[in-house]
Amino acid sequence: MVLPLLVIIYYAFTNAEGEVTIDNFKAFFTSGNTIGTLIYSFVIAFAVTAVCLLIAYPVSYALAVSKAKYRAVLLMLFIIPMWVNFTLRITAVKEILTFVEGSLAFHPFLNTVIGMCYDFLPFMILPIYTSLEKIDVSLVEAAYDLGATGRETFIKVILPLSVPGIISGMTMVFLPSMTNYVVLDMLYNSTYIMGSLIGSYFSAYDWHNGSMISMVLFAIIVVISMITSRFGESDSDERGALL
Amino acid sequence: MYKKMLLIISLCLVSVFICSCDKKDDDVLTLRICNWEEYIDEGDWDEEETIDLPSGDIIGENSMIEDFEEWYEDTYGEKIKVEYSCFGTNEELYNQLTLGDEFDLVCPSEYMIMKLLNEDKLVKYDDSFYDASDDSNYYAKGVSPYISNYVKDIKVENVSIADYIAGYMWGVTGSVYNPEEVSEEDASTWKLMINPKYKRKVTMKDNVRDAYFASLGMLKSDELVKLFDDYKSGKITFDEYHKILNQEMNDEDPKTIQAVENLLQDNKDMFYSFETDNGKSDIVTGKIVTNYQWSGDGVFALDQAEEDGVYLNFAVPKECTNLWFDGWVMLKDGIGGDDRRKIAAERFVNFISRPDNVVRNMYYIGYTSAIAGGDDSTIFDYADWCYGAEDDEEDVVDYPLDYFFSGDSEGDEYVITAPREQLKRQLFAQYPTVDVLERSSIMEYCGGETTSELNQMWINVRCFNPFRK
Repeated sequence: MVLPLLVIIYYAFTNAEGEVTIDNFKAFFTSGNTIGTLIYSFVIAFAVTAVCLLIAYPVSYALAVSKAKYRAVLLMLFIIPMWVNFTLRITAVKEILTFVEGSLAFHPFLNTVIGMCYDFLPFMILPIYTSLEKIDVSLVEAAYDLGATGRETFIKVILPLSVPGIISGMTMVFLPSMTNYVVLDMLYNSTYIMGSLIGSYFSAYDWHNGSMISMVLFAIIVVISMITSRFGESDSDERGALL
Repeated sequence: MYKKMLLIISLCLVSVFICSCDKKDDDVLTLRICNWEEYIDEGDWDEEETIDLPSGDIIGENSMIEDFEEWYEDTYGEKIKVEYSCFGTNEELYNQLTLGDEFDLVCPSEYMIMKLLNEDKLVKYDDSFYDASDDSNYYAKGVSPYISNYVKDIKVENVSIADYIAGYMWGVTGSVYNPEEVSEEDASTWKLMINPKYKRKVTMKDNVRDAYFASLGMLKSDELVKLFDDYKSGKITFDEYHKILNQEMNDEDPKTIQAVENLLQDNKDMFYSFETDNGKSDIVTGKIVTNYQWSGDGVFALDQAEEDGVYLNFAVPKECTNLWFDGWVMLKDGIGGDDRRKIAAERFVNFISRPDNVVRNMYYIGYTSAIAGGDDSTIFDYADWCYGAEDDEEDVVDYPLDYFFSGDSEGDEYVITAPREQLKRQLFAQYPTVDVLERSSIMEYCGGETTSELNQMWINVRCFNPFRK
């Protein structure tokens, strides 16, 4: 498990002559291409996460409050597509988008966001649904008893209690959105994101820069995980129940 | 605890057993071959796919590899085992080799062969392999004179690659286009890709080498056309023309690379996509009207479209085209000094160069083999079987193929009488005319510095850069 990581670290800190150097990292933070790609990946990931959250929260809420006999069916509706390989699902999205837009070539960014949202939506819905479902009904009833309106109950009781679900959903959507370049390729967005940039360095035999970018990405992921785990700390056992 | 111990002991025993098995089988030679994906007949044809040629029926029942193993034992009385694996791109193969994977025989493209030769990683074929008087030397007997002449002139630091390579498949690059949307004139130039009429309905290849070649074609369009005219009108000889063309299309000047970068930056919105495989299906379904394509995949797209009742054409740019080929080379790391291995590898090349096997591979893959067949007319018969006109067809043309089959471009021994539309369709893509091949150039292997400049150029084109002027 650790060995491949060590190899990456070795390559990230050496150059083609085998000398130890941090020039690779210097190049990362001074090149417009890499910074631009980082920004572009972040923008995509933010957009995908935001759209997923906006769709997933009401859906999960509806799921959680629906009658038990419908709930299983509704839940299956979101889980069944996950049984199909994601490239096949994206191919289907491609056909639908071509039908709607006429040609995929005009809105590459929009198409990417739609494709990724479709792909990652279940990863947002399921944790939020789990955390909503676990809320003790008596807490909600208590809020009403103490005179809270429906809106106040939602904002002050339900929403805070579902935060761990939201956080884990966001991490599960945000991180893959930054690197999943297969979706981009399949939907013909020709602009690189982090994943494709790493791939392009590796196929050009430049393992040093490829590893360096992987390291940077790894660092970003660690930072994000640290931030989110702090948020979820108060309710750590809830976070175990992702799926 | 005991259970764990037992497990460990049994694992050890199993591994010892496996090792001893390996030793026992040591006299069976294992030949390690690495080829492109779906680039050899894998057998399992339907009965109705039988190709009925004058020389007999040809059908692929078993895979080519299985047939080779059987044939080897029958012919030479020795067992052989082929370890067959595949790669997706030349770069992938190269990375595998650098990571220490050992193969005896691989099939990369010409520029990668030049790179491998330059790095002294290849083993020469034996002189006896090229001896055409030996009946079992199907490659030497059958290779097209056109291809062997072409290969002879390709040199890496004054060493011709001809002694290291056995040609497999070859072709040119051009455009598959829908004649209802694009005129033949528009399609016959590299500038097709930046023609505003077809904005977002053309594709670019998703690799720096093919993109660079096409861009050079666009940048130097006028120059190249004039150069070809000069040759045609007799102002310069063919050799002079060819030398200049090769230089122009392998231009390594940083200024040219910069110009190509600018061209691609300014025009990347013109393309529907940067693609490797999807273009074939996108043109059949009508999402695009033209697709920059290698001739073999072009034939595939044309065939597919015909099944749906759509008739596409293939055009080669008037400026020039890229002649490419894939060839079998033996690797030093794999072969080592083992003569048995080397001979087995050579026998494999000869086996797949046997005319009936060539036809099987061509049918299965759709590309054009570098083998013409020599005295054996099976391969020509196959081309005729594919594209020759039916007896009752009226609008037919004579399509001379002597340049490929006999090497005499003036000859009239190998002529296919084909329906007129084949001048722009599969036959033309599979065996381009002499006229097209005259203006063909190969992509040479460029040195490390130019390679990294080109890669950087490609990253610049593909990345979002907020600081770009």
